[in-house]
This record gives sequence, C-alpha cells and structure tokens, in this order.
Amino acid sequence: MTVFSLIIINKAGGLIYQREFQPGLRKLSTNDYLVLAGTFHGVHAITRSITPKLPVAAATTTASTPTSSNVPSTPGTPTPITPASTHSFPNPGVPATGLESLETDKFRLTCFQTLTGTKFLLFTDPMMTSIDTVISKIYELYSDYVMKNPFYQLEMPVRCEAFDRHLMGWLRGRT
Amino acid sequence: MSLPPAECIYKRRWVPRPSSITGKSSRPNSETSTTANALPPVLGQSARTTDDDAKLIFGTVFSLRNMVRKLGGEDDSFVTYRTSQYKLHYYETPTNIKFVMLTDTKSPSMRVALQQIYINLYVEYVVKNPLSPVEHPGGVGVNNELFEESLEQFVTRVLS
Repeated sequence: MTVFSLIIINKAGGLIYQREFQPGLRKLSTNDYLVLAGTFHGVHAITRSITPKLPVAAATTTASTPTSSNVPSTPGTPTPITPASTHSFPNPGVPATGLESLETDKFRLTCFQTLTGTKFLLFTDPMMTSIDTVISKIYELYSDYVMKNPFYQLEMPVRCEAFDRHLMGWLRGRT
Repeated sequence: MSLPPAECIYKRRWVPRPSSITGKSSRPNSETSTTANALPPVLGQSARTTDDDAKLIFGTVFSLRNMVRKLGGEDDSFVTYRTSQYKLHYYETPTNIKFVMLTDTKSPSMRVALQQIYINLYVEYVVKNPLSPVEHPGGVGVNNELFEESLEQFVTRVLS
C-alpha cells in the first residue's frame, strides 16, 4: 500500500497543491507540475468528449422507414443533425465523466472530481486497493482544514499547515 | 515542441449486438446478423466526426504518454485509462505505431490482444505486404483486405 503523491487542481486547471508522500515517481520542477496540471485538465475534458456513442435501435428505424437507411451510409452528404435521443452512452443512466483512473506499468493515477470542479489526483502503487477510501478521506480533510479555514482564498494555492499535518498523519497511520 | 506526424491509418467501429445495449425488451427482428455486419463503420456519426475523434484520441494519448514518461521514467508507458463510460487501451510498438482500442468499462486488459493484433495481423498482412505503402500521406491508410478480414475474425471470435 503505497501512496506516492497527491495533486489538487482547481476548476480552472491551475495547480493548487502538490505533495509527495513516498518516493517512487520522478521529481519534477514546480513549473513542470504546473504544466502537468494544466495538461491533465485539458485531457480530462477531451476524454469526456470522446465518449463513444451507441446508436439506439437503428434496426427499427430502418424497418419502419426504409428511406432513412440511406442517409447515414451515403458518404460525403452532410447528414442532418440527429436528435440526441438516437444515441446512448455505453453505460446508460451514468453521467459521462472524464478520465477516472489511469494505469501504467509503474503507478496508477486516480482522479476524483468534486461537484465544484476541483480535481484530486492521487498517484499510488498499481496494486493498491481501496483507493476510494483514501480519496474520500483526503476530500474530508480538505473540506475540514482548507475550506473551513477563514484565511484560505478560493482557487488559490493551498498553504494550510493543519491540512498538511493531518494528511501526513493519517497516511502514516495507514501504512 | 514539434509533434510527430499524426495520421490515423486505420479505424474500425464495432457496434454491439442490440441485445447487449437495450436488453431483452428490444424487438427480436433487430437481431439479424446482416444489420450488424453491413453497418458502415461510422454509423450514427457523420464521417467528419470520426475523423475529428481520431485526432482527439491521438492528442489525448500523446499527452498522457508524455505525462506518464515524465513521472514514471522513459521506459514507463500507460496501459489503459477508464472513465465512467468507457475504457481506452493503448499499445505502442517500438516503431511508434500506436494501437488504441476503446471498450466498455467491464472488459479486462486488452494489452495482450493489441500486441497480438500488431504481431499476428499488422506485421503479417500489412508490413510484409510489398505493395503496402510505408507512409500514409493523404489518409488512404491501411487498405488491406486480409488484414481487415482477420481483424474482424479476431475481434468477433477471440475477444467477444
């Protein structure tokens, strides 16, 4: 059970918190972390927009109105804007989100986005389980020690000693 | 920073059998295999959208790969990412050909499958074909019947 590091990105894509807990990943310069946060923010939005759409009941429309079957198969013709109801997502009922977890040979990146758009990026060991508990605890600590801090300015870098202390203490207690 | 040439040389879309998306409530006549096979690869989307999708996917994969290399070292590469709706599998050959596969969220790791597609299908039928172009300017891409047929078989028989 290894948590490498935590990154918090505000809703505009700016880096507001970065901390390393255990060595394992390469160290980057502050500038590189800012670039990484911005890049991830953009990629996160793109991954949501490339969600595959599945045609719904294509066979029934072709059966009832034979003329409509020619429309999608004609290349080059600008197809009329189809109403949204002709598509469904692979997991209907679940809102489409951006990237939630990414796996590589060396680490796993889990992204949790709050309702207000703040993103928590947690870098862990690929074998680690129960990442959800860790993330929700981090969110809880963030709410308690950052958001309830009267001196914290929204969307600005997090410099709250109590948050650091409790975060470190809790993660150390788990290992 | 200059980007390497990005050309989508092959794309193919599989539409799931109607029973798997809409459940048993759908009409039985929609099960006919002809609808499933005769579908153009871009069904439900105009050709322009799939071209844009290919570019977006390239951009995503490229950024993520660079991000992962920065953090994990030069020999690290990302294998897959998951959203609430789909999973993207990624395999890059030593010659920087990128194989990307999008599946539903429940599917297991496709790394071996993508590797097999590269070794057993792409190398066999496309690379070893003396008539196939090395570069693909203009976007004709992999226009190879044997490759497409065997890929179709591989995906429908082995993967599903």
